[in-house]
Amino acid sequence: MSARPEVVPPQPWAFPEPERHTLSNGIELLAYDIPGQYVISVRTVLPMSLSVEPREKEGVAALTARLLDEGTARHTSEEFAQLLERKGIALGAGINDSGLGVDLDVPKRRLGEALDLLQQALGEPVFPEAEVTRHVKTRLAEIEQERAMAPHRAAREFIATFFDGAERASRPSAGTHETVSSLTREDFVEFHRRFVGPQGMTVVVAGDLSGVDVRAVADEVLGQWRAEGQEVVTPNAEPPVRAADAARIVLVDRPGSVQSELSVGCAGPDRRAEGGWAAYPVLSFVVGGSPNARVDAVLREEKGFTYGIRSTFRPRRRGGLFLTNGSVRADSTVESVKLLLEILESGREGFSADEVRAGIDYISKTAPGRYATADAVADEAATMALDGMSTDFTTETLLAMQSLDGDALAEAYRRWVDGTWTVVVVGDASLYADQLEELGRGAVTVVPN
Amino acid sequence: MPLDYPIHEKTLPNGLRVVVSPDTSVPNVTVNLWVNVGSRHEAPGRTGFAHLFEHLMFQGSRNVASGEHFTRLMAEGGRLNATTWFDRTNYFETVPKGAYELALWMEADRHGYLLDAVNQANLDNQRDVVKEEKRQRYDNVPYGNALIDTYATVFPADHPYHHPTIGSMEDLDAASLEDVHAFFRRYYGPNNTVLTLVGDLTPEEGFAAAERYFGELPASAEPRRANHDQLEPITSPVRFERHDKVPNDRLHLAFRLPVDNTDDYFAASLALDAIGGLTTSRLVQRLVRREQVANAAQAHSMGFVDGVSLGFVILDIADGQDPDVVEARACEELERFAKEGPTDVEMESALAQAERSWLHSLASQEERADAISQHTLLHDDPQFINTYLDRLNAVTAGQVQAVAQQWLQPQNRAVVAHLVATEEEVA
Repeated sequence: MSARPEVVPPQPWAFPEPERHTLSNGIELLAYDIPGQYVISVRTVLPMSLSVEPREKEGVAALTARLLDEGTARHTSEEFAQLLERKGIALGAGINDSGLGVDLDVPKRRLGEALDLLQQALGEPVFPEAEVTRHVKTRLAEIEQERAMAPHRAAREFIATFFDGAERASRPSAGTHETVSSLTREDFVEFHRRFVGPQGMTVVVAGDLSGVDVRAVADEVLGQWRAEGQEVVTPNAEPPVRAADAARIVLVDRPGSVQSELSVGCAGPDRRAEGGWAAYPVLSFVVGGSPNARVDAVLREEKGFTYGIRSTFRPRRRGGLFLTNGSVRADSTVESVKLLLEILESGREGFSADEVRAGIDYISKTAPGRYATADAVADEAATMALDGMSTDFTTETLLAMQSLDGDALAEAYRRWVDGTWTVVVVGDASLYADQLEELGRGAVTVVPN
Repeated sequence: MPLDYPIHEKTLPNGLRVVVSPDTSVPNVTVNLWVNVGSRHEAPGRTGFAHLFEHLMFQGSRNVASGEHFTRLMAEGGRLNATTWFDRTNYFETVPKGAYELALWMEADRHGYLLDAVNQANLDNQRDVVKEEKRQRYDNVPYGNALIDTYATVFPADHPYHHPTIGSMEDLDAASLEDVHAFFRRYYGPNNTVLTLVGDLTPEEGFAAAERYFGELPASAEPRRANHDQLEPITSPVRFERHDKVPNDRLHLAFRLPVDNTDDYFAASLALDAIGGLTTSRLVQRLVRREQVANAAQAHSMGFVDGVSLGFVILDIADGQDPDVVEARACEELERFAKEGPTDVEMESALAQAERSWLHSLASQEERADAISQHTLLHDDPQFINTYLDRLNAVTAGQVQAVAQQWLQPQNRAVVAHLVATEEEVA
């Protein structure tokens, strides 16, 4: 073989700059012109808090989003679906703890027609009785599907254990069987009338915009939308409260499981955290972001217990979580939990120079490729807008990363990782409950699947 | 809109086909290799081996330490992986331009000199990892075996697509170091591989770098066998039932289809879109929206090269509905489609969605490189990414109907039913 080639370092990179406009009705428009991207990605975001949902009507926000294109003032549900499909438009809507998002992808030449339909979905949904019934039934079936899937089941138990029971964040964002069953057409009409409107909304348009007057095209339809009486929701000022007994182990019992699904976590920062956000993407990578990161170097590459476990600092609008998720061979459950917690805590002692360099370089040098396509640019801009920020934050974070060292990473890690964990295991309780208790990592509670 | 992504092609003396597609929009280069070996080449008793072998390609080679392929390239800003499928195995990384020669050097080292580093410990470890992958993706998932059952039901027992790429636990256990050596010698080599480079480089740079790092490898792979002849459709329905702890009944209605990259395959994919793939498809309109006897209906086509492709419809049966009744209604729609052919609106919709989906996949360098390698390796057609939409648009409603009549009628179906087990069955 020839000699190993030297690597020439890449040039610094910044997130693309958008054109910014304010439409006639106050919607903020961000337009990213990315030559060669023939599918245009449109992201509409409206910051909101799920705590506006009445306790007994949880899920109304998520199902409102799903019903937006299921019948409008001008078109039945089937007609609307056909209009989208004939123009090659993909439309989807959803909600999370930061707000409502309606996404659309469309070939460039159809952008104007697509925005017109988007406006109709956002502004003129009529929530036909038959579609409401169908979507409620579909969500109820989905809840059962989620119960059957170990990662979903683990996630549901994690939030129920970690957050205080009074917090909206402790329950599924799309509602439970009980709350969803109670939803009626009037609930959706009311929720839409009160909370969905142009105030506070941002529209991101990304793709090859040469020859397109985006401002005019967007203003012609989206800019003309008025919503009388829209209530603007201020995001929660405080992070959701952690449960007093969050530091424990919950075993979701699934007799006969060939694997145990693990979900381990503690509180984490949001993007406005004291000391800055830049350390956390790097820490996610170094601790659990690759087959040779700390967790998988042992649990996968040394022990062969897992196909792969990932750690990530996940910011919310306020507060966040540091989560580690993955599945392990059933008979390795106890040893895996023990090793995993030790590995996660080892970060408190610090990180090697190689780990620091590799983590910073991975996050910063992959950025041009991670944000090369219209949908990736639009998604990032939408995420930032929902968080009340701009993609300047993305660029600033990459810049701030360059000056991180091992001490800074260890300090950032210790700020959140203090050795108290919420541990959820979805697996066979009869085999592992006692041994998990003996780890001394907190009381073990067994709950049914 | 005609597409004109630049395509430059050259074959090295050792048989390596190299395609370079310059794109300066991002200062990156995607390195993408397709090797003409997949689970369709596996010997009886060694299912899952092509995929297990792919894992070993990350465990070091003559000049690269175990795990270094991931750690070194990720630390240079690389995003990388590899996958195995019925027809082939691919290896790929997207790196900053200044690191693409390192990536090529590392690829050449493992594609040429893997056997210097393979050992029993690595084999045993990756065997364990792959078994956990199987448990995570198939065994510990509701309906996780649905597609595996589908392949086994719709294709004959001795056919290359009868068994899944993940293989069986018994066969994974049986894999030995001798198997690794024999497999590498037989299938790995520049004469059985395509290398595609997409990104911020010129054709001259790309060809020179390919020659620099891969030029010395001998044309070591055995000659390819011919693909199997086209399988005929099933002529009377076959059925497989699994009673399991699942939330609701789910049916897969599967069909043999014409081989990939033919007008008939494209027509079959449009037919399946109209039947069950679109959100306005016949099955969604009737079973999900109007009669509400199914929670969801989908349809998919998977193009293969070895004598047959696969099409299937998935029906999620709503609570309290009889799966036999829902299946009978789906069969009525298949019959009606074969009798009437697609409407103009169905053709327009299927083509419009296919266009967006294709342009969307070509939007990233990674997927573009993968599509180029695929069609160069399996179909000798490096220009495919530019011509596909024109070919699809040339398919007529008459062709779609003819294909549906031949391949997508009720009698052509293989049904895999995953049904909610009764209390007794669970016990």
